[in-house]
Amino acid sequence: MPDWRGELRRRLAALRLDAAREDEIVEEMAQHLEARYAELLARGSDAEEARAAALAEVDADALARELGAVVPPAEQPIEPGSGGMLGLTARLAQDVRFGARTLRKHPGFTLLAVLTLALGIGAITAIASAVRGVLLRPLPFADPDRLATFWLTAPEKGLPVVALPNAVFDFDRTHSRAFEAMAAYTTGNVILTGTDDPERVAGAGVTHEFFTVLGVPPLLGQGFLAANETPGAPRMAMLSYALWQRRYGGDSSVIGRTIALSESPVTVAGVMPPGFDFPSHSEAWWTIQIDLTRFNPWYLSTVGRLRTGVTTEEAGREVASLMDDIKARHPERFSGADAGHSRAVAKLLREDLVGDVRTPLLLVLSAVGLVLLIACANVATLLLSRATSRAREMALRCSLGASTRRIGAQLLTESLLLAGLGGTAGLLLATWMVPVLRGLAPAGFPRLELVRLDTPVLLFATGLTLVTGILVGSAPALRGSRVNLTDVLSDGARGSASVTNRRWNDGFVVFQFSVSLLLLVGAGLLLRSFQRLRAVDPGFRVERVVRARISLPGRRYDTTGKMIAFYGQLLEQLNAMPGVAAAGLTQQAPLARGNPQNEFVVEGREPSAGEPVPVADIRNVTPGYFAAIGTPLLLGRAFEASDDSAAPPVAIVDAAMARHYWPSLDPIGKRVRDSQDPSVPWRTVVGVAATVKHAGLDARPSPQIYLPYAQRPQWSMYAVLRARADPTSLIPPLRRIVSALDPNVPVYDATTMENALGQSLGTRRFTDILLAGLAATALLLAAIGIYGVMSLNVTARGREFGIRLALGASPGTVRWQVMRRGLVLAGIGTLLGVAGAAALTRFLRNLLFEVGPLDPLTFGAVVAVLAAVTLAASWVPARRATRTDPIVTLRQE
Amino acid sequence: MTGRAWQKGSAELLILSLLEHEPRHGYDLSKLIEARSGGVLRFHVASLYPLLYRLERRRWIGGRWVEKAGQRRRRYYRLTADGRRVLETKRRDWRTFAQAIGGIVGVEYA
Repeated sequence: MPDWRGELRRRLAALRLDAAREDEIVEEMAQHLEARYAELLARGSDAEEARAAALAEVDADALARELGAVVPPAEQPIEPGSGGMLGLTARLAQDVRFGARTLRKHPGFTLLAVLTLALGIGAITAIASAVRGVLLRPLPFADPDRLATFWLTAPEKGLPVVALPNAVFDFDRTHSRAFEAMAAYTTGNVILTGTDDPERVAGAGVTHEFFTVLGVPPLLGQGFLAANETPGAPRMAMLSYALWQRRYGGDSSVIGRTIALSESPVTVAGVMPPGFDFPSHSEAWWTIQIDLTRFNPWYLSTVGRLRTGVTTEEAGREVASLMDDIKARHPERFSGADAGHSRAVAKLLREDLVGDVRTPLLLVLSAVGLVLLIACANVATLLLSRATSRAREMALRCSLGASTRRIGAQLLTESLLLAGLGGTAGLLLATWMVPVLRGLAPAGFPRLELVRLDTPVLLFATGLTLVTGILVGSAPALRGSRVNLTDVLSDGARGSASVTNRRWNDGFVVFQFSVSLLLLVGAGLLLRSFQRLRAVDPGFRVERVVRARISLPGRRYDTTGKMIAFYGQLLEQLNAMPGVAAAGLTQQAPLARGNPQNEFVVEGREPSAGEPVPVADIRNVTPGYFAAIGTPLLLGRAFEASDDSAAPPVAIVDAAMARHYWPSLDPIGKRVRDSQDPSVPWRTVVGVAATVKHAGLDARPSPQIYLPYAQRPQWSMYAVLRARADPTSLIPPLRRIVSALDPNVPVYDATTMENALGQSLGTRRFTDILLAGLAATALLLAAIGIYGVMSLNVTARGREFGIRLALGASPGTVRWQVMRRGLVLAGIGTLLGVAGAAALTRFLRNLLFEVGPLDPLTFGAVVAVLAAVTLAASWVPARRATRTDPIVTLRQE
Repeated sequence: MTGRAWQKGSAELLILSLLEHEPRHGYDLSKLIEARSGGVLRFHVASLYPLLYRLERRRWIGGRWVEKAGQRRRRYYRLTADGRRVLETKRRDWRTFAQAIGGIVGVEYA
């Protein structure tokens, strides 16, 4: 049989049909020719005759003429009708090829659109990875959604969080029905001595159920037993995997060995698996041996496993009612007025761990989402403008038989292609942004190590890219598929549909402006808060000051005399150190973690029964401390070396406390007591110091009482050094001095006060930097948007402006006409944005500091900035409009 | 009137009529036209298939590859709802036209 298919292909080659379409046509016609050939043979023709007759039916010229009029060549979209899956994929492949070619033909447009989308998609992917890592990834514990922590609360005493004493914890663990099991722990540091230099190791003293409650079995060895908790039993410890590797080289014979933790012997019970890190940054866990009858101190944190189906609210109510039971059973300890009013809070462990960063992270995520929307609007504007200039092309394709649906699909394919490129570039950007984000995050930001681009984040980015493609493509596709042939062809290149177009574009500009305004107001309020915060007087001077913590092992320094002797010597040597302007010691440096507080009583203002007892920040300080930290003494004197244990008890109070208790009296000579216990002697106030923001610039300070170190010594103290020059240069000599005094005493948490202040503002600054960056991006995109739309507007109305100018309109009038449009759009956008911002900024309230959510200055400044941007962005197109040459525009007709 | 003129003017009507009751493939259509016109009308491949494609693009007919047991797949065309309406109109127009012509040239139309 003759090769019909080869013959047909040769004849069709000149038409350059789409490959899949050509295959179909060849197949169909070849079948026809085969049948015809067979028929002719059956009628008695010989093979050569039959072949010639059959081929005569496909005369090359006729075929090319007839087929060419119906089936467009591959360059044009074709309409293969219901070609099944084959037709669909072929059509898709064709659309993609055609789209790619179109994008290549306009590199400037493509680059701008891809970059805009990449910026939006990249930023949102990076932030989404942070949200997933920090907020969404499950905790590395068994069934983590049933793990909760709880505490008592007494906000009326200024105590939002009250930890538990032994007796209360033991009562709760015995009687709780909401919790299946619970454990208590107290974080702390131990000094590990022995094999190497003394090392301070962060960890926690835990009750024996700790690892069972969390549901994490040890990697090696066994957990703790109930017997380990009894006072006097041998003490046990678990090591973190990292500590085990670092300090013991991963030697499993360390199990059962006795090591020295803060100079007391502890047996290593086991090693925890890598990644087990609770409480955060723990490297060792040791058994706490607790006297279960004690009601003091209130120091235990808790973690419990909720019974299935029990909510945290129910658990909180139960803990409160258990506390009421305890109060009823121990009337000798709890004054009658307190009973029955206990309050407690239970919170899922995950929420508790990320509590502080949840709001800022979600805030940034929403902001990034808005920026992406602005980017989409920009790209959609670009695509729309191209749809206008391509109106003729579309009309031509319509007339050649492309259906409007087909053209819509083609345009959508193009925008999806753009989004795909933008998404890919965005992912690349995100792989770069994630480490930057992690670097930018303040120290102590929880779960930061879990922030990475993993599969769910990649899926999210892919989905987002698709949505973006559809979002930016739907307006032009709708618009493109509504081309009216006669309108376009009779109306020149502009097309009457450009009215619809302009309406879309105007909508985009209004949208961009309102969203930009929202972001700018949000960022502005936060920045104003930050500025206000930086202006707060912390009550001390951060410049050229370092602090470092020193902890004495309690086993050897077991008398106040030994402690006083050590710190006395240390202070003497610090003062003699070259480069030191002033040196002092304090129980707690400002802005350091933790805030020791005590109840106190002012003479003559003793609380009556049932009245809440006031609480103060209490610090023991040495002479020289106030000079070193830079806290001014407003009245009276500082402590002196003579304020020792033999001297009469004295105290220094802060200005706010003095004003509150002795508003119009001289506080010097008044008396206070740092305890409710009437057997503790009164202390005479000898000085008034400026109020110090111990817990951070935005914290409302409690009353502050300073005591002379020698009258109430402590094991652990901060050295505070004011340098004459570079403060960090004082840290190495400080370490040497301490080591010379006692090689087993570690120096840690050494940092400049400037650094400490920076860290205390960390999360806030992190949020502010991100939001300010996003708001600036939004502003830039909105400016590009309005510039683009104004330019299009001028181009589209070129003829009109030309005629106006020819008829004698002044350039000023034309310019004003263009600019007025920009201003009107920006004005509408601003109005909507202000309304939106006013409605939404109250969600920021918790992040603001001394700035109201409707701060008129911020709103005013943002509106002014936007107005300036509008003027600038519409000025250039407006000027171009006045340069329109009437002859040129009219000749284009 | 020659075959070529027929094709130009009314080929569409012929195809639509033949597809009115059942789907058919291209070769089938060409055979039917030849047979029912007593050999007067003949469609060549070069004109038949472009015509089918044009009707298909107008959505008057729809073509689909159909595989029947024991046979090779072939492309069958069927009339669409649009095509059916067009057929009615064209038939009516044709009847009017033929009667008008008949009235002038004196040929009675059956």
